Amino acid sequence: MSEAVDTGGSRIHDIGYRRYEGTNLGRLYVARSLYTHGLRSAFGLGRSAKAKIFPWIMVGLLGAFAVVVAAVRAQTGEMIVGYQEFQQVARVIVIIFLAVVAPELVSRDLRNKTLPLYFSRPLRRTDYALAKLAAVISAVFLLVAGPLTIVGAAAAFSVADVSGVWAEVRGLLGGYTMIAVLAVIHGSIALLIASLASKRAFAAGAIAAVFLVLVPIAQIPHELAHGAIGQLSLMISPDGMVDGLQEFLFGKGDANLEPGYRIYYGVGAVALVAAVVTALITRYRKVSL
Amino acid sequence: MTTPLTVDLRGVSRWYGNVVAVNDITMSLGAGVTGLLGPNGAGKTTLLHMMAGFLAPSKGEVLLGGNPTWRNPDVYRDLGLVAERESVPAHLTGWEFVHASAKLHGLADPAGAARRALELVEMTEAAGRRLGTYSKGMRQRARVAASLVHDPAVLLLDEPFNGMDPRQRAHMMELLHSLGDQGRTILFSSHILEEVEQVSGTVQVIVNGRLAASGDFRKIRRLMTHRPHVFVIRSTDDRRLATALIASPAVTGVSLGAEELTVHAGDYGTFTRALPKVALAEGIRVRQLVPSDESLESVFAYLVSA
Amino acid sequence: MNLTICALTVRALFGRRRFLLLLPAPLILMGLTWLAVSLGASDQDLVTAVVVGLGMTAVVPLMSLIIGASVLGSEIDDGTVIHILTKPIPRWQIILSKLVVASGVSALVTAVPMFVVGAVIDGPKLGAGLAGGAAIGAAVYSALFLALSVVSRRPVLLGLVYVLVWEGLLTNLVSGAKVLSVQKYVATFAQSISGTPLMERPLSVAVAVAMSVVLAVLATYYASVRLRSFSVAGETS
Repeated sequence: MSEAVDTGGSRIHDIGYRRYEGTNLGRLYVARSLYTHGLRSAFGLGRSAKAKIFPWIMVGLLGAFAVVVAAVRAQTGEMIVGYQEFQQVARVIVIIFLAVVAPELVSRDLRNKTLPLYFSRPLRRTDYALAKLAAVISAVFLLVAGPLTIVGAAAAFSVADVSGVWAEVRGLLGGYTMIAVLAVIHGSIALLIASLASKRAFAAGAIAAVFLVLVPIAQIPHELAHGAIGQLSLMISPDGMVDGLQEFLFGKGDANLEPGYRIYYGVGAVALVAAVVTALITRYRKVSL
Repeated sequence: MTTPLTVDLRGVSRWYGNVVAVNDITMSLGAGVTGLLGPNGAGKTTLLHMMAGFLAPSKGEVLLGGNPTWRNPDVYRDLGLVAERESVPAHLTGWEFVHASAKLHGLADPAGAARRALELVEMTEAAGRRLGTYSKGMRQRARVAASLVHDPAVLLLDEPFNGMDPRQRAHMMELLHSLGDQGRTILFSSHILEEVEQVSGTVQVIVNGRLAASGDFRKIRRLMTHRPHVFVIRSTDDRRLATALIASPAVTGVSLGAEELTVHAGDYGTFTRALPKVALAEGIRVRQLVPSDESLESVFAYLVSA
Repeated sequence: MNLTICALTVRALFGRRRFLLLLPAPLILMGLTWLAVSLGASDQDLVTAVVVGLGMTAVVPLMSLIIGASVLGSEIDDGTVIHILTKPIPRWQIILSKLVVASGVSALVTAVPMFVVGAVIDGPKLGAGLAGGAAIGAAVYSALFLALSVVSRRPVLLGLVYVLVWEGLLTNLVSGAKVLSVQKYVATFAQSISGTPLMERPLSVAVAVAMSVVLAVLATYYASVRLRSFSVAGETS
């Protein structure tokens, strides 16, 4: 017992209260925790059973499709869908996944006005935005890359010799690259849209609407117009941007671009992502708590 | 309003999985104002929602005027509900809101009924403004007006004094009193004792989903014989009175304060008969005798801790 | 059907800023048609890409979803539904009134631009066919999404899954499932009303009519039944 101050009957008792003397982990730790928390909650881990239903159904659908592809590959040696094309098939699932996950990550904080709780910690506003962005991108990547890995593993086992395995691995890496591209482009756009809406239902509807409506707007000039407009119009939709980028990186893809225009998609993709991320950071810098 | 109606609950229970929110409650509410009292989480809102037809009892029946309230929209002809949740359509003006309520009730003269209801809650001047611009108390009054517009025989209010300033609260209390005096059955819930004390003598006390007590709270206090009654006495000679009183078997304890004497009595009846005799025998004049724990607070505290 | 509820619903729908969100879609639909026509697209391409690809796949269902899920859903969400439910009005009347408003507004927002698009591509007959298909489709979608908003707390999400996964993906893969896709009814009606050779007719008219009626009636009935058992447990939603 330490000294108690006695002032006419009032005492301060020592009940063993101690100040916190340990280390205070810094900004990086906080940002990393926010990232892992976002990633886990995207898949419903650490949340109620109801929150797990939806993401794991998406995983299940893609997984089932991957198993089918793998089985066909094992039986006939033919790939229904190539490594790089896998992400094209997965797009509908990815869009729905994003329509659910992106609002979960950011719209909730806006609606419940919990941002002051975050920003009164050693966490800069930029860190918050980037941590959430990283979580969304990682979630989409895992969603699609996981099933693709099943395909790759099955294919590697079914191939006779080492050089065949190496070819499969190269293909798989190409697939991962395209999935990463999809994750970055679609994820950042979805997160930006979600960060503007405080109601999850609106954000979800807006994300779906933007992704859906832009597709024909990009496709029509591409199919009808010649010259620069037709070649570059695919950039308007996120799907088209990914397709164009695939041709830029790998030389073949669904976009049917003339070789001279492919580089614009490389530049355009980088510019798009930079613009979206900047907008996201600005949004969180300016949002009133 | 035609005839008074009673709200009957018979053996009503409501559970959610393993959590029992309301546990075998039987009560009957008649004309006049009744306070539904209980700590937060006791089940008051669940009970009110069952009475209002917005929740089905897991067991038992909830009847209004003999008709079940669940899945029975006709019951709203005689029932008005002012829910706890404050939401009102912010884009309507006060007048439009109450008028729409009157129209939805199918009243013959919706405008007249709306006007009367707004006058009753003293909202006529502000009625032209949108509900989104109202203060919390004003929104509350608008909701009360909307629920009174069809002259219901039964009015249920969930925590109606939340967020009201003292003047508004006094006015609302007066309103509830007068409505109760007209023969309506009024039930309001609260966890604030002073409110209930001022508005109604009749309480239904809910603790942990069970009905702990019902009736006039002063009578309830007298029924609680296990705890001594506490009286504060001022007399011409407290100390001598104290000495004399402790000799009486009805008294379990005395304590002297600076200005008064506090007596703990085991039995209300015996003590009240014994005191005058003792004082007379000692020649002490008793100036003031106040039962100091007959407040609702002590009743409540006792019931909650029991 | 209750006129007061209809009036209140219409006011709630148009009284907020968010109704402005309804404007871009028709404008985009018409703008895209103009763009494609000026780029010299063939009529067939226009129909396939704009009318079907954008109009029937995206604009009609999504507009109906946004409107249909919010006529009742937003009131349930913010708690103001209690003001309608504490009235001696049969629940089917409430549902029907909301449905009329939702269908009417969705039909207007989708049929008008579809008419314009059709008329620009191939004359007023195509325009009438597209408008008719869109209007009927909007009504059926509204019934479905209204029912979803009574049953679930997240009707927009479930509606999106229906539109994107069921109608967008699965019914195109499994041919028998076409019968359960409102999008196909829209296409059927559009083609049969206009008689245009530019579109396919995915189902027979009889099937489309029957299924539209069945789905709309079932959804409305189910919504009414569920609204009768609408529960409010605690103070928060």
